[in-house]
Amino acid sequence: MKNLLFLFSIITLLFTSCIKDDINDDFVEPTIRITTTPDTIIVGSQFQFDFAYFNNVGQRENINPTWSSSNESLLMVDQSGLATAIVKGAVTITVSYTSAAVNTSESFEVNIGEVLVEVPTAKSGRIATTSSYVLEGDFEISEESGKLIISIAENYSASTSLPGLFVYLTNNISTTSNAYEIGAVETFSGAHTYEIDGIGINEYSHILYFCKPFNVKVGDGEIK
Amino acid sequence: MKNLINIFFASTIFISASFAGGPWTQKKGIGYFKLSEWWITYDKHYTDSGELDPNITSGIYNTSFYGEYGLSDRFTAILYAPLFSRSLYNNEVSGTTGDTVQPGEAVNSIGDVDVSFKYGLTASGAKFPISATLTLGLPTGITGKGERGTLQTGDGEFNQSIQIDAGTGFKIGKTNAYFSTFAGINNRTNGFSEEFKYGGEVGAGLFNQKLWLIARLNGVESFNNGSEESTGNTSIFADRAEYTSYGLEAAFYITKQFGISASFASAFRGKIIAAAPSYSVGVFLDLSK
Repeated sequence: MKNLLFLFSIITLLFTSCIKDDINDDFVEPTIRITTTPDTIIVGSQFQFDFAYFNNVGQRENINPTWSSSNESLLMVDQSGLATAIVKGAVTITVSYTSAAVNTSESFEVNIGEVLVEVPTAKSGRIATTSSYVLEGDFEISEESGKLIISIAENYSASTSLPGLFVYLTNNISTTSNAYEIGAVETFSGAHTYEIDGIGINEYSHILYFCKPFNVKVGDGEIK
Repeated sequence: MKNLINIFFASTIFISASFAGGPWTQKKGIGYFKLSEWWITYDKHYTDSGELDPNITSGIYNTSFYGEYGLSDRFTAILYAPLFSRSLYNNEVSGTTGDTVQPGEAVNSIGDVDVSFKYGLTASGAKFPISATLTLGLPTGITGKGERGTLQTGDGEFNQSIQIDAGTGFKIGKTNAYFSTFAGINNRTNGFSEEFKYGGEVGAGLFNQKLWLIARLNGVESFNNGSEESTGNTSIFADRAEYTSYGLEAAFYITKQFGISASFASAFRGKIIAAAPSYSVGVFLDLSK
């Protein structure tokens, strides 16, 4: 009897299990983005272009990119992204980063004119479930008065069965690691809005919904 | 999803109680006692639509005492006490970098205790015994622990259930066997939905009743009458979980009264419940022999 109880105690200790590892396939292609995208800059002036680089897990990382202009007689840009507008016209700015494992670039066209024109950028997308839980709806993202405005459309609906549905902005839809947590979802149907300070419209590629308590991905939407 | 854990605890009760349970009451001064280890680990679950979705691998491990004691020939007191309960979830490790991006966590405590009183509606020794059982579920476990607030060793609410059991013993050749079935209503507090519970089991005693083999079928259906808050608030369990599960148990008497048992159970359909089998091993003392 005593031996059996001892054996049972050992079995009990064995089964008071240790925390193990779940491997998450979280690879994404590294990307670089130009985060300041004016429509027009003033001829004869300088303008600082900025960028953001996200590595193979979507984490922002400091690198030294290469800046270039499609026509240096119109606009010159140094390797810090500082551009000098020389002559009126249109030119393509490119930022690129190349290493042994990475080759990524982004370009956009900017005009050189009499006045600085910073056109409010608006993007949009569609949220779709990637799970068995209901999640759908359209959204628009814009920058207004230094705030990022995410407007979820009237056709949005989300399951109320999850104990903790959270919404994020991310560059890696496989994980909430390195994502920006907007907050807990409090509206499960219909139109609503999130206002975020200090985040640029070009910083994240996706809106992401996760059941935070159980680390379960529920859905996402690409920001286009 | 938090309701998974509710169900796990319910399953624990089924697994622990059924061998000594059924409609049969203990005779006065006689008891059945069991010390068991029950565990489940799961990396996917049935969703609210009944489909399967993945989740971070989580586990619950209960070391439990279960005892029945006859206060009279028709009145039995029952205690189910998870003396040590451990709830955990794994680390999330990046497959790209090898870094731990979300650390796992665990909590240990006593689990939720159930106190039950079974009354024999038929006289002791009846061919078709019927009993009624009142169970009081005490929230002695913990809830809302860990960084994500999901680690718990109890459901965080009082509940009380009424259950009717019926059954009969019979012979298959020279082998003693039995069949029992039950149905009950579980009333839950804190805005949780009420539940209808049902089940049945058949058992046969082989080798001069030294080895008992038992097969079970259990289920829970939700009345879906809980409050919306009970599904969205991480500080309490969600509700509305449903399942139908099957299970097998083998109990072997090493001596006349002392034995060991092993069992498993698994849901083959469900809503908001783990899609993984649970296991149990234990030692028991059966004073009725």
